[in-house]
Amino acid sequence: MLSKTSAFLLASAVLFFAGQDMLRAETMQMMGREIMVMEDERPDGDDRTSVMKMTLINKRGSKRIREVSSFAKDYGRDKKMVMVFEKPADVKGTAFLSWEYDDPSREDDKWLYMPAMKKVRRISGASKNEYFMGSDFTYDDMGDRNVDEDTHVLLGEESVDGHACWKIESTPVDLDDMYTRKVLWVSKVAHMVLKTEYYDKDGLLKVYRVLDFGKEGGFWAVRYSEMENIVRNHKTVMEFRAMQYDTGLQDRLFKVSSIQRGRIR
Amino acid sequence: MAGVEVSAREVSWVERMVVDGWIEGAQSVQIRSPHDALTSRMWGRLKLSADIDDFFGYVSVDAQKNWKVDSETGIDVHEAWLEYVADGWDARVGRQVIIWGKADGVQITDIISPPDYTEFITRDLEEIRLPVDAAKFRLLGEAVDVELIWIPFFKAAVQPSGGNPWALEPDIPENVRVTAAQVEEPETSLENSEIALKISAFFSGLDVAASVFYTWDDNPAMHRTVTQNKGETDVRFSPEHHRMTVFGFEFSRPWSDFVFRGEVAYYLGRFFEPASITGSPLKKNALNWLGGLDWSPGNDWSIIAQVGGIAIFDHEPGLAADEHSLSGTVHVSKKLLRQTLTLSNMLYYDVREQGFFDRIKTEYAVTDDLHLLAGVDVFGGGGQSFGRYRDNTQVWFKAKYSF
Repeated sequence: MLSKTSAFLLASAVLFFAGQDMLRAETMQMMGREIMVMEDERPDGDDRTSVMKMTLINKRGSKRIREVSSFAKDYGRDKKMVMVFEKPADVKGTAFLSWEYDDPSREDDKWLYMPAMKKVRRISGASKNEYFMGSDFTYDDMGDRNVDEDTHVLLGEESVDGHACWKIESTPVDLDDMYTRKVLWVSKVAHMVLKTEYYDKDGLLKVYRVLDFGKEGGFWAVRYSEMENIVRNHKTVMEFRAMQYDTGLQDRLFKVSSIQRGRIR
Repeated sequence: MAGVEVSAREVSWVERMVVDGWIEGAQSVQIRSPHDALTSRMWGRLKLSADIDDFFGYVSVDAQKNWKVDSETGIDVHEAWLEYVADGWDARVGRQVIIWGKADGVQITDIISPPDYTEFITRDLEEIRLPVDAAKFRLLGEAVDVELIWIPFFKAAVQPSGGNPWALEPDIPENVRVTAAQVEEPETSLENSEIALKISAFFSGLDVAASVFYTWDDNPAMHRTVTQNKGETDVRFSPEHHRMTVFGFEFSRPWSDFVFRGEVAYYLGRFFEPASITGSPLKKNALNWLGGLDWSPGNDWSIIAQVGGIAIFDHEPGLAADEHSLSGTVHVSKKLLRQTLTLSNMLYYDVREQGFFDRIKTEYAVTDDLHLLAGVDVFGGGGQSFGRYRDNTQVWFKAKYSF
């Protein structure tokens, strides 16, 4: 039988270590969020343009090409973006305009111009889980997700292809999200995600890897990346070229009247 | 990235010019006996565009060989226009297709470019619009745009005629003889011009627009002269286009996975046809309205439902159209196999006549540039809107190559 003093000391010790664990978990969560805020706020100029080429590769190795010119401009923490589809030929000239709001409770505004229909349609802002042009990237994968749409826990430190990274686990706040969790590797130098594992209720679904990155116009940028769907044995290689920053893109570019012309000017 | 002022690099003339287009072959046959071919054509469109700083030129030329409708065979300029873009305004002059409205597959305020019903509504919607020779000027504000269109040359809607399988003979009583005069079209003059003005606003979470269009009815009113001759009735049609003014209003509002849309057009002074072959068209005011809901539930599903109708004010019993008509559409599509296969169904339903047109369509992208399409167009029910085409229920195939 333990004496009353021994029992008190034991209970205190258990509480102390449990408290330490809770404190450590809280600290890791705080650090996880701070790292993701740092990643989110990585400088990328006030505006940016690029040409994005996607190569969709199926399990037999056959390829389909998607090419999109992209223009984006920051308005405080919000962003306006225009994408013009260049390839394949049957969707050439299709333009997508979005006004993306940092506040997760506010729906983004989106319009789509289809050259065959020669008119602009309002489209709903909520369907972020759709796959972009048949690729392995969803609109949400490619978009600017608000940091607080997930809780982030720092799991530790690991290197990816020789680059020192923080390893973070992000769990969506919204239980209906298509992913149950993500594990991300964030470069300590570039403050950029170099690898992500996407999990759904059945386990590992997709892996995103940055294949080449570097400084473009003074800002860290991804040049080549890939998204591999493990379950469907399908891969999308994404290449960025003609990247330009702070060229002073005019506000008129991000208006419906601009995409209504069927070309961007 | 043609057209964007982001690079200081010299752009060569070759880089400023873009040539692209498509070629397609289409074939359809009646499902019912005698299983005649209803569509048999090869159609190509060559598009040339040139980007010269603030100017942009565009020409598209159509070439078609049509084995079912002779008048469609030939080469013609589909569009040819020049555009100038300045800070705060732009202008486009020349032959162009202008499309207004928020509706899906239905034309409410979308009456700037007249319709081409050569193959009724079985063509792709974009090929149902005829280009107009027009000048379009837009004043572009922060959230509000003002659009002014001047159309100096009248262009009528195209209806199927002659040996076209979509040209159906009207029901004529036995003791009635019918003749028709040439269609009386407005002459080209300044006072016969058509003018349209539209004010559009694009706010966060709401698009609205109001318009007015001083126009000619694209379809002629079939005026008649009726004479009695030895127990028989002679009816002479004198088709004539009439002036009318159309006031329009449209909006769309997204909410979650949905977009709510609405569109109304108030026709001031439109002629409506009589029910009797010996009656006369009557000039009335009417309201054409439509409400729609787009639902994008995810997983590449798209569901669009619309309901609409026409209300004729000061209605008279002798008119062919009811005082209030009601119709609806449902469009469901699903993309599969990484968006290379699209299955869709578009249903038009006329509530009064219980007539319907249902297009079941499948499209497969064999490669990025080559698409194969197949489908069934089912016409059924009663009435004059869709039911009369029941014998033209058809199965069709199409191959389209884009370059």
